[in-house]
Amino acid sequence: MRLQFSRKMLGIPYAVFLLFFVIVPMLVILFYAFTDKELHFTFGNFIRFFSDPSKLSTIAYSLVIALITTVICLAIAYPVAYILARSNMKRKFVLLLLFVTPMWINFVLRVNAIRELLSWTGLLGEANYFNTIFGMVYDFLPFMILPIYTTLLKIDHSLYEASADLGAGWSKTFTRITLPLSLPGIMSGITMVFLPSMTNYVVSDMLGNSKVTIIGKFIYEYFGSNWHMGSMVALILLIVVFLTTWLTGGFREDETVRGANI
Amino acid sequence: MKLKRTATLALAAALVSAPVLAVAGCAPDDTIVLRVYNWEEYMDEGGEDSYDGTEAAPSMTERFEAWYEETYDTPIRVEYTTYGTNEDMYNQLMLTNEGDYDLLCPSEYMIMKLAAEDRLVPYDDSFFDPTIEENYYIRNVSPFIQNIFEGNEIVRQNNDAGSTWADYAAGYMWGVTGFIYNAEAIDETQLAELGWNAMTADIYKNKVTTKDNVRDTYFVALAILYRDEIKALDRNAENFNEQLTAILNRTDEETIKKVEEILRQIDGNIYSYETDTGKNDMVLGNIWLNFAWSGDAVYAMDLAEEEDGISLNFFIPNECANLWFDGWVMPKGAQKQPAQAFVNFLSRPDNAVRNMYYIGYSSVISGDRADETYGSAVLDYVRECYEADPEETDDVILYDLSYFFGENTAFYAETEQALSRQLHAQYPTQEDMLHCAVMDYYGETANENINELWSRIKAESLDAWAIAVLCAAAVLIIAVPLAAKFGKHLEFRKKPKKGYRQVSQKSDEI
Repeated sequence: MRLQFSRKMLGIPYAVFLLFFVIVPMLVILFYAFTDKELHFTFGNFIRFFSDPSKLSTIAYSLVIALITTVICLAIAYPVAYILARSNMKRKFVLLLLFVTPMWINFVLRVNAIRELLSWTGLLGEANYFNTIFGMVYDFLPFMILPIYTTLLKIDHSLYEASADLGAGWSKTFTRITLPLSLPGIMSGITMVFLPSMTNYVVSDMLGNSKVTIIGKFIYEYFGSNWHMGSMVALILLIVVFLTTWLTGGFREDETVRGANI
Repeated sequence: MKLKRTATLALAAALVSAPVLAVAGCAPDDTIVLRVYNWEEYMDEGGEDSYDGTEAAPSMTERFEAWYEETYDTPIRVEYTTYGTNEDMYNQLMLTNEGDYDLLCPSEYMIMKLAAEDRLVPYDDSFFDPTIEENYYIRNVSPFIQNIFEGNEIVRQNNDAGSTWADYAAGYMWGVTGFIYNAEAIDETQLAELGWNAMTADIYKNKVTTKDNVRDTYFVALAILYRDEIKALDRNAENFNEQLTAILNRTDEETIKKVEEILRQIDGNIYSYETDTGKNDMVLGNIWLNFAWSGDAVYAMDLAEEEDGISLNFFIPNECANLWFDGWVMPKGAQKQPAQAFVNFLSRPDNAVRNMYYIGYSSVISGDRADETYGSAVLDYVRECYEADPEETDDVILYDLSYFFGENTAFYAETEQALSRQLHAQYPTQEDMLHCAVMDYYGETANENINELWSRIKAESLDAWAIAVLCAAAVLIIAVPLAAKFGKHLEFRKKPKKGYRQVSQKSDEI
């Protein structure tokens, strides 16, 4: 029998990748989260996590830090993306490049540079939470700008013309056309900023002098001593992430303009 | 997110690669493959930064390969990999098969844990025979170190009574813990009086750091907690060090509860928990006092001198300090002959000097003075670094290190060097060593309790009402979009105004 080549076969490499690097590890985490040292099934880790106020406080802090970071990023990114997308500037890609280039520089290097800056201004060690949020905003800003910029760019110009024809002012055009149509970009921007800022403990360690603890650090520390508890924390985080993504519409399929695919 | 991915990927990769590694280990010819798993940057890697200083200078593993073939007439290849923490090493060991590693370099407590769990094989008796020329370890190790290794029994369930650390581990580097301090900002007599209490002292608020590491900080807390008891001990008593060690290894519930109090005070007083930002913060003047391991302290002092002209000092608190080691052990399944040969080669005094020069820590090797070729290499190196000529300057003292190097090895050193700088950090005096205690492995249960305690200290603390408010907020945040989402399907949406026709969202597909 001749081996029939079908287009579906092109998906095999990815399916294999998916199996070994996504599904199997997830199952391993699930397995560890609900077992004890002797590998017996237990709810102990789950109960321990939710009966420990220090763990709940840390989750709450992580959420708040991530929320503030996201709001600040959005407040900075939206106007910038709007101006960039709407302006007729000849060299606006240069400006855009300026916002994106930091992403090409090594992350650790950037955090170290900010640390030096903060130390120079005397803020380091004085305002750990502020510094952490500052660092996160700096690091994640491009992830907010880009998706919003791409969705704004894709808005058909004739919509604005129609709006003007019908006598709508700037604010009405913005609230009825620009904002609703850029919502997918905002959503993917939020997902891309909110989630990493809950776990990126390099920033909180370096800029918060390790005195700010976010949930990612817990996972890291538990994986040094107790994989079972570490897996449980990772699993809980996974659920939080899943809920957030689902709520912000990340799983909807009818959006062709999502900017996440940069 | 970032971390979770890496962690799971690493796990998956480790699971997948374990059998592959085992297969890759079989070399086709009769070349022995020796797999050494060491700390990062913990061995001479050759090149311009090495002791020999030329670009062509071979690394320690290359030197070994040449030496081994010459001595034993068998080709050998070293597979050298590194880890960042004892726990990483342990986890990796658990994930791989017996025989995937021949030689590991854990710290003392991890050696005890591995030995207690019966994961190690002992060194051969012939390894300890000083009449064999190639037995550089036993011929050159400092009696001070060997006494400690022989004096500490290994505790485990199926106890083969009488086995000691020396049976399972050969020392590599050692040191003590203390403070690096900025002599311009800190009053030395005051610091000496405070000792470890400096960590919680108001005058150093936001100017002192500790390690982001539970064992080191737990030790400091114990030293603060039992300060009076330690001070009341009779220093001249025969068993002073035993008593001190017992106090500094307490892990009972009562102690842990009290330690929590002290850790909270430390948490409130320190500038940061750090693993490697401390040196930089010292040089910048952000902090005045930095908890440090002696080898790191030497490095920081050198760096501050060379680059910034700032003078930093090292101080070992008088009441007690932590004495630590890293040593070579062979996990089960190891190829013992080449592994022991590797340890011996590292212990040849000239190689010990190369490693000391490269990594900045102090080797356990003192040198066999009967050996004319290599015997005095380590002491010569130390003198080369620190010896001062009493005829040139008056500001010298006779520095006596006979406890480590043997009799008649005292030399003149600048007073400052000897009392508070690099020399003091690298080789503390016998008097300092008397009140240094080794910290054991806590044991399974205590280890768990102390890790939990640490995570409580590091965690954010919120009042119950704040948690309630935040939970309510979270529910709200979740509920509102949910309502919006499913609200669409309910009928309470406004009907379109008269005259308008609601266009289907899918209309653009036409």
